[in-house]
Amino acid sequence: MDTALLSDTFVDLADTMVAEFDVIDFLHMLTDRSVRLLAASAAGVVLADPRGELRVAAASSEEVGLLELFQLQNDQGPCLECFRTGLPVTAGDLTGPLQRWPRFAEAAARSGFRAVEALPMRLRGQVIGALNLFGAEPGQFDPADLRVGQALADVATIGLLHERNVRRREAVAEQLQAALNSRVVIEQAKGKLAERLGIDMDRAFNMLRDYARSSNQRLTDVARAFVEGASAEFPPPTRHQPPR
Amino acid sequence: MSDSRAMVVWERVAAHAAAHGRRASVADMCAVAVGSAQLNGAWLAAARGGGPDFVMCVTNPVGEQLAELQLMLGEGPCLDVLASAAPVLAADLGDEDFRRRWPAFVPAARRLGAGAVFAFPLIVGAIRAGVMGLYRGSPGPLSAGQLGDLLILADAATVMLLGSARGDMDNEDGAGLDGQAPDLALHRAEIDQATGMLAVQLGVPAGEAFARLRAYAYSQDRRLAEVAGDIVARRLRLHRDPGRDNGP
Repeated sequence: MDTALLSDTFVDLADTMVAEFDVIDFLHMLTDRSVRLLAASAAGVVLADPRGELRVAAASSEEVGLLELFQLQNDQGPCLECFRTGLPVTAGDLTGPLQRWPRFAEAAARSGFRAVEALPMRLRGQVIGALNLFGAEPGQFDPADLRVGQALADVATIGLLHERNVRRREAVAEQLQAALNSRVVIEQAKGKLAERLGIDMDRAFNMLRDYARSSNQRLTDVARAFVEGASAEFPPPTRHQPPR
Repeated sequence: MSDSRAMVVWERVAAHAAAHGRRASVADMCAVAVGSAQLNGAWLAAARGGGPDFVMCVTNPVGEQLAELQLMLGEGPCLDVLASAAPVLAADLGDEDFRRRWPAFVPAARRLGAGAVFAFPLIVGAIRAGVMGLYRGSPGPLSAGQLGDLLILADAATVMLLGSARGDMDNEDGAGLDGQAPDLALHRAEIDQATGMLAVQLGVPAGEAFARLRAYAYSQDRRLAEVAGDIVARRLRLHRDPGRDNGP
């Protein structure tokens, strides 16, 4: 474990929480840092929507195969099991015979993943989602790495509920829906910007995020204004420059 | 998994409409919402301007009064949900937090007989269609199952409102609302990305881009997510003139 990277990670996450906090930006950073810290090939945060689905809130890559792997887990897979049991779920070899989740394992192996781990995001006994890690090599993730992984999953839970008083049980459900809708806004903005500039979705996301940070605005607010605006100009034209 | 649950909810809406000898409408959504969650009343308002000011249906007089009350006072859960893009689940209006949050609305609502109020934004990301509000005389939370059903109904109502706003389409029910279940598997990144892309390709607001995407999927008898995937992968472009869309 790269301990300098570990402390940098918690500093970065804490910074995001005290600045103009955006839950999707925060979760995206968390998946990105999870990949680097835990020697994973890919990571994602899935949230449990009361409509009866696991929905991706953030992922370390746009790669279609990866996103499909989260979607598949609505039928079978480590995240579904993790959500149901509230316990970490692990599979060290997705290419051997006798797979617990045959369809998921086959799709994961096709995307180059040999190992998977799902760590629960829990709040007072309720499982609200999972941090899903993928490895390119077979074998379990290192137990020391997984302890850090669970801590990151716990930080994700705290970040999700950052803005509101969670004395009311309903506040959790409200915040989850806000986060899920924020992601939709950001995806809409990515599409609009990608089409406007002829760039890919990853680059579009980075442009939106960089502009939000440099103008000290929330990522979701920048994305929303861009989607709602009649123009597709980006950065959006402003009469008054925001303070730097 | 969630497809079949959305279908179950939709079947109730279709059955309610059929029992009244009409096509499914937001009025049926509201009635089914009340029954599903064992509440006392509901209302639905479209956001024509900025706020939820166009009350389209109410299930009973108290529902109507609660809807109008918020517009008159300029405060209340229905206004909050559009601003925050999140539901407000006020399970107990007697809670001090809610009295502080809506100092004029809470006592008036309680006098009307509301013990709990639940409001849902009718939105798809940055696209705002309106608000659905519900109340129960007695305070108490929604169960997880009831919440899930109400969220699904809110999705269906959103799709219905966005579809009917398309004045320039030949077939106003082209988005699958003429008795057929709408494609409610809405929650995929490619659908949202395709919506943004179409807003640029077609030169229209996002709400209209979303309606065009759904209308195209329906006309081709394809799943929304698949069509969206083709658009994101740039295998498919739509044209400003919808009449040209059927080509490859």
